[in-house]
Amino acid sequence: MADSELEEPNIVAENVQVRYTVNTNDPGQRAKGLRRIGNAMLGRRGQTTVRALRGVNFVAREGEMVGIVGANGSGKSTFLRNVAGVEQPDRGRILVRYQPLLLGVTAALQPALSGSENVRLGCLAMGLSPEEAAEAFDYVVDLSALGAAIHRPMGTYSSGMGSRLRFAIALAARPKIMLIDEALSTGDATFAERSERAMDELLAEAGTVLLVNHAAKVIQELCTRAVWMHKGEILMNGPAEAVAEKYRWWAWNVAKGKDDIADKLLHDVVSNAVKEEINILEPELVRDPIPRHAARTVKKTVASTRHMKRREAVDEVEETPAPLLAAAESQVWPEEIATELPKAKFPALPKPASQAVSAPRIHDEPPPLRLRPSKKRVVLRAADPSDRASSVAASDDFTGRRLASRARKIADERYQERERIRQDEAPPTVHQDSGR
Amino acid sequence: MNSSEATNPLGLSTIPSVSSEGLVPVGRRTSLRSYLAALWGRRHFILAESRAKMSGSTRKNLLGYGWLFLNPLLSVLAFWFIFGFILQSSRGVPNFLGFLVIGVFFFQFTGKSMTGGTGAIRSGASMIRGFQFPRAALPVSVVVRNFLDFIPTAAVMLVLIAVIPPTEVITWRVVLVIPVIVLQTIFNVGLACLLARLGHKVPDLTNFMSIISRFWLYGSGVFFSIEDKLSNHPAILAAMQFNPIHAYLTLVRNSLLYGVDSPAWLWFMAIAWACGLLIVGFLFFWRGEESYGRL
Repeated sequence: MADSELEEPNIVAENVQVRYTVNTNDPGQRAKGLRRIGNAMLGRRGQTTVRALRGVNFVAREGEMVGIVGANGSGKSTFLRNVAGVEQPDRGRILVRYQPLLLGVTAALQPALSGSENVRLGCLAMGLSPEEAAEAFDYVVDLSALGAAIHRPMGTYSSGMGSRLRFAIALAARPKIMLIDEALSTGDATFAERSERAMDELLAEAGTVLLVNHAAKVIQELCTRAVWMHKGEILMNGPAEAVAEKYRWWAWNVAKGKDDIADKLLHDVVSNAVKEEINILEPELVRDPIPRHAARTVKKTVASTRHMKRREAVDEVEETPAPLLAAAESQVWPEEIATELPKAKFPALPKPASQAVSAPRIHDEPPPLRLRPSKKRVVLRAADPSDRASSVAASDDFTGRRLASRARKIADERYQERERIRQDEAPPTVHQDSGR
Repeated sequence: MNSSEATNPLGLSTIPSVSSEGLVPVGRRTSLRSYLAALWGRRHFILAESRAKMSGSTRKNLLGYGWLFLNPLLSVLAFWFIFGFILQSSRGVPNFLGFLVIGVFFFQFTGKSMTGGTGAIRSGASMIRGFQFPRAALPVSVVVRNFLDFIPTAAVMLVLIAVIPPTEVITWRVVLVIPVIVLQTIFNVGLACLLARLGHKVPDLTNFMSIISRFWLYGSGVFFSIEDKLSNHPAILAAMQFNPIHAYLTLVRNSLLYGVDSPAWLWFMAIAWACGLLIVGFLFFWRGEESYGRL
């Protein structure tokens, strides 16, 4: 996974905590005194606070497909809802590069409308223009493979058909980040094939997919990395194979009532778990390390003075060697050093990209999130307009097409790799004790 | 990110660093300017959503769109029977049937926007969970839908007024109905936004809304002239005349039915209510933008 460190992060979650205050009829949680009478009058028993997420730190990078496994109620769906921006965490924050698209279990958008009308509505909701929505329509119908059922009301669809259509609609906007919460587990085998190919293409274009699925086998096959969530925390984070395997073994033991083994396993995992933290480097802080209240006295143009200082430092280093060497020859430390020693300097770091001239000003509002990078093409033109290369570039988006074909190639490779693994999959190994 | 990489040779755990360059907090409320721009960008969605609501509610009925006209017509009939025939509140009101028709049709426009706005967030839950769009699109689409419903019914209303015996005085002032409808629509957008956030915060409001709506209906002089009935309670009369719906109804009746000029303060109040509530309601809704995902 070392090489994945080089990829740009698409999702960064830092210490995300979520609580819900919900009604309960647990006798132990009943309110006392007057509040109890008040609750009784309103027909309520008592309230309790559920900590759905207890400080989740998580990074997902470009081209990664991360599986999330865990028991029911471990906070998987809550986490995805927070990453999608549907809810805001009570503490912590979530940063994303593109607007994530969440595919939940409730598939029907407008049950009274036909499938094709839902396609249009969904495309417009994602911000496509009517022309783009019309263009995407054929793609969606093709991918969902619903046939004549596309003209029937969506409320009459089976859950599998609904999730097929929903998935196809989501892909119509070609999002860079997709969060899939159990949405594909109702599809049949033919659709599984199509959806996997579609996701491969998404990943190859530097996208990111988070996949929640209860079948650990699916996670093993599809994902590059997996995360095991338990009671609102990330217990384990590593290669999909290892994590899914551990989770399956634990779930199997819980299912068989072997609680002692399951508890021991959980304890092992917890004791091995490194409490993950993330250090988020802020471009703002790199640029302006002095807190505003401390910097108030030197309010003069900060950026330019810093440039001056840095240049000075380099000059001093170049001057010093001669007197220092002379002192070393005498083998004795002089009582006092005549020349002023330069202060210890740290090597000047290369300028962060945020300080580049073209970068947006730091106090500006961040640009609005999009589902994908904007379509503006960068066409390099030669100074001479009659130059052949520039005319080729202008006539057709050559670079874009080449990138697309490369993405397609990577997707094909992933697909073939997976097919190969499936074919020579050995009969169940140690822990895979059937049942699933 | 791997646990094996989490310790360096000194045995200290290193914390992986990621740069937040190019990363943006997700689901945050944007500035008013970009919010409005995003809302404008979704105008096609608002239209499609309001059409969806329209056909979604009418397809279940046998008569379909027919109810758009039948419903207000039947209520006009009921009100005429109770108030005009039994209670005789029509005394002192010239052309009572026309008075009643205008009152019922125009009040229903605002009344429907009010109840629709209160439930806008709840009924749009599946859209909110599925896609990221400025949530104000939902209450706005409620008003757009009611506006699309209102236009054909308003045409029917005009025909009715023209046909029913005591004929109205037709002057150039008939044109003034258009700015009134525009002002009332703006007022409805503000109202729907305001109530959408309130209704999301306090779900009990849906129960309360039917009572408020009825009280407003009686208090706006839909089927009696409040100037006549309250002439010996000047304080209550002044309070009732501050009612925006009363202003809109009076403006329409004056221009359409009686062909007289309306006082300037009535126009001023109609404009002030429309703009004021739009600004207050929209800002109030916008400030709650991050909370609508939690139901």
